Amino acid sequence: MKDDCTVSAARRAVVLLVWLAALAGALAVAVRATYTADLSAFLPAAPDAQQRALIQQLQSGSASRTLLVAIEGGSAAARAQASIALAAALRAGPLFEQVANGDDAGNAAMAEWVFGHRYLLSPAVTPQRYTEAGLREALDDTLSLLGTPAGARLKPLLARDPTGEAMRIAEASLGSLADGGPRRSGSVWTSRDGARALLVALVRADGADLDAQQAAIAAVQRAYDAQPGRPRELQLHIGGAPTYAVASRAQIEAEVRWLSIAGTVLMGVLLVLAFGSLPALAVAALPVASGVLAGIAAVALGFGTVHGLTLGFGTTLIGEGVDYAIYYLIQARSGGWRAWLRSGWPTVRLGLLTSLCGFAALVFSGFPGLAQLGVFSLAGLLGAAATTRWVLPVLRPEGAAGSGLRPQLAAAALALLRAMPRWRVALTALGLGAVALIGAHRQGLWGAELASLSPVRPELLARDAAFRQDLGRGDALTLVVVPAADDEAALAAAEAIGARLDRLVADGRIAGYDSPARLLPSRATQRARLGALPDAETLQAALARATAGGPLPAARLQAFVDDVQTARRTAPLAPADLRASPLGPLLAGLLVASPEGGVSALLPVHAPPGGAVDAPAVRAAVHGVPGARWVEVGPELSRLYRHYLREAQLQAALGAAAVLVLLALALRSARRLAAAALPLLGAVAITAAAFAAFGVPLSILHLVGLLLVVAVGSNYVLFFDGLHRGEAPDADTLASLLLANLTTVLSFGLLGASSIPALSSIGRVVAPGALLALLIGAAWVPPLARPPAGPRAA
Amino acid sequence: MREHGHRAIARVLLLATVLLGTAAPALALELTELMKLLAQRGSGEARYTEQRWVAGLEQPLRSTGTLSFQAPDRLARTTEQPRAETFVVEGNRVTMERGGRKRQMMLDTVPELAAFVAALRGTLTGDTASLQQYFQATVAGTAARWSITLKPLEPQLAQVLRQVKLDGQRSELRQLELQLADGDRSLMVIEPQTAPAKAP
Repeated sequence: MKDDCTVSAARRAVVLLVWLAALAGALAVAVRATYTADLSAFLPAAPDAQQRALIQQLQSGSASRTLLVAIEGGSAAARAQASIALAAALRAGPLFEQVANGDDAGNAAMAEWVFGHRYLLSPAVTPQRYTEAGLREALDDTLSLLGTPAGARLKPLLARDPTGEAMRIAEASLGSLADGGPRRSGSVWTSRDGARALLVALVRADGADLDAQQAAIAAVQRAYDAQPGRPRELQLHIGGAPTYAVASRAQIEAEVRWLSIAGTVLMGVLLVLAFGSLPALAVAALPVASGVLAGIAAVALGFGTVHGLTLGFGTTLIGEGVDYAIYYLIQARSGGWRAWLRSGWPTVRLGLLTSLCGFAALVFSGFPGLAQLGVFSLAGLLGAAATTRWVLPVLRPEGAAGSGLRPQLAAAALALLRAMPRWRVALTALGLGAVALIGAHRQGLWGAELASLSPVRPELLARDAAFRQDLGRGDALTLVVVPAADDEAALAAAEAIGARLDRLVADGRIAGYDSPARLLPSRATQRARLGALPDAETLQAALARATAGGPLPAARLQAFVDDVQTARRTAPLAPADLRASPLGPLLAGLLVASPEGGVSALLPVHAPPGGAVDAPAVRAAVHGVPGARWVEVGPELSRLYRHYLREAQLQAALGAAAVLVLLALALRSARRLAAAALPLLGAVAITAAAFAAFGVPLSILHLVGLLLVVAVGSNYVLFFDGLHRGEAPDADTLASLLLANLTTVLSFGLLGASSIPALSSIGRVVAPGALLALLIGAAWVPPLARPPAGPRAA
Repeated sequence: MREHGHRAIARVLLLATVLLGTAAPALALELTELMKLLAQRGSGEARYTEQRWVAGLEQPLRSTGTLSFQAPDRLARTTEQPRAETFVVEGNRVTMERGGRKRQMMLDTVPELAAFVAALRGTLTGDTASLQQYFQATVAGTAARWSITLKPLEPQLAQVLRQVKLDGQRSELRQLELQLADGDRSLMVIEPQTAPAKAP
């Protein structure tokens, strides 16, 4: 007995040295790791190239860096003035690529650039247009607007652009805005009801760079606050994807802080309850601390970055890790550490292995966030168990002194074991009812919404959707994507698709579409347009015949002839020219580099007013263009999510099977295995049925939670298996069982209270599930032979 | 005694009439009256001939075609000469067809157009509020031969449009004259095709 408590100096030195070295290494990795809290953990790693392009667009496409700004309250004039001043301030700064509020003055550079290149950009430029008949037609077209309010903007350009190319370009791009764009009041954009002035700002920095997005949001607020003489009743609202991303990050950071503080306090309280001694508390915290550090280091090494949610999940590790310390410190008291290694450690090891099986299934998840959780938990549990197995015996060879509230806990556990068998019939009925309910709800049991994982509040999304509708911009949720080898091939494909989509616009099946080829036609198209422009002599002659007897004499159109000659001498625009032009930001959103090299052209398609895009018509229209694909982002993401849900269901089934195999190996009896497995099955069924009864569809994270119920619950059923074999439980063992359950229920209950769906989903399944596993397991324990008395001897 | 009372009341009434007559702007009364008259008219069809005088052009631009209005808010102009063209506004939706190209847009995206359409629809339906949202309205003439002059209230609109003058006889609009800020002018003479539909 005395031998069982001694530790040689050499052993102590070696163990402590190895432990401290491991801790130092893990600490070094953890300190250097990058920590993120962006939304990427909620986006699956896509299996095919097209889906990867889609995910990339969602993460860093132009939508991810577009701020939607609204100014409300006050008078229309005050809102317009504030909008103009805000736009001017933001345009003057370096943070924004483009600021649009309807104020034409602000986009003068863009308009001037387009006008200067109108013979390359206008779809109407064909050889026929410069014949006598073509010119007459074009001139009539322009003249029909003169003398009306609509012609006022045209008139100053009449001598240079009598054929109205600028108007044709504007008309073509009208189709890229549903409803022709936002309402204008005075010179600025407003909502359809006129109550808000609208402004759209495209942040220069990458959408994934949340610090830069946060700085841009702050810059908008600062520029607005700095406006002199702004009426006090005006209110500024900033929306758009960057605001959610930044807010979610802040929310995740705040919750992780809150969860770790609450988890630490909880652990402290439980340990004080268990031991009634502060030194014991400090020692018991070591496995948990080592485990958390090991988990962070493993994730940092495996993934490069550590997600905030992974840390939040760490609080549950506290629940498991502290159990190991409790088992050791209590059980080693009666026989020293060597005795514990023989009697206690095998049970802890089996519990560890079942938990590892559960978490191992997560490692292979398609969601980076879940995979991190899996790795974190594996490394964390191993770290905590190893610390308990090797370090605690060196520090506390005889376990911990003090009894705390353990006698009371033991009495409560005993009362529970005595009371539960009375509930066998009720529990059986409940279990069968749950299975029946799940059978009846088979169809609606699983939700297929990726949004169920997102922490963004639905009302914010609805607000943005209304804003986009006011802007006449779709949310770009339906688009045609064409991957190509290079810019030229992508633009040519975009033109081919555009020609097909034009027919759908004419039929009213779609309202319009955006195309990179409108901003930058392919080289072939530009050459054809330049080739259509006649020399000065030919043009003058045709013009003279076309204007003979008409109201507009050819002599007044010399500037037109000169401009056409200038255009003939220019070279076609290259992508680099356009990227350097005021239209650059617009092109960047439609012509994007693919993740695997090459270029993709994106053509967002807009639904007709009050209707939906005729998807089969679009799919049929783009069918003949090689590589072109019709993507509906919403359904595509749902498809992706369903794929991962099926994958996760398989992984969970494998994890549960592995737990059963472990139990079978440990119990070596079909009857004992059934007695152990049925309570777990019952706990899982009742928990899942409760979600179905409340109409909450189960997500991937609920599934993970159910798997953890099996992994954690197996510890309890192993304990009860011992009771079946007639091993009378002593007070300390009973107390540690109840403590272990308490730590699990409380730490997962903490997660369940989180406002982040990813964390709360797991917590809300595991906390009740683990409790059920304990209660059901206890209900089938045979009547106890004799009341437990004092600490177990041997 | 009773007679004295009657006289007093009559004098008070007379005084009130005179006071009200001078205190309230006479024009507002007449606009309201005219609007009531116009409101009696529902849908209708008309032929028009239009001339536009544009600075820099050697001759006025002429066009002919039809106008149609269907209460409450559908206004269509179909140009026949010199070339086929249609322009239809229904509610906030504008559909234009010119040279074989069809475009749709929302009326409120072009404030100048929205104001002009409000002037027309307001006159055709007798909707005073709609007129006064964009314009200061002045009425002249008699119910048999009236004329409304509309001047833009917003400086933004005044930069383009100087005034709109609508002339009519009883409930019929007969002439529409536009003066643009840059001096250009257009005159549309309207010939109703169907008898006015009287309100029940």
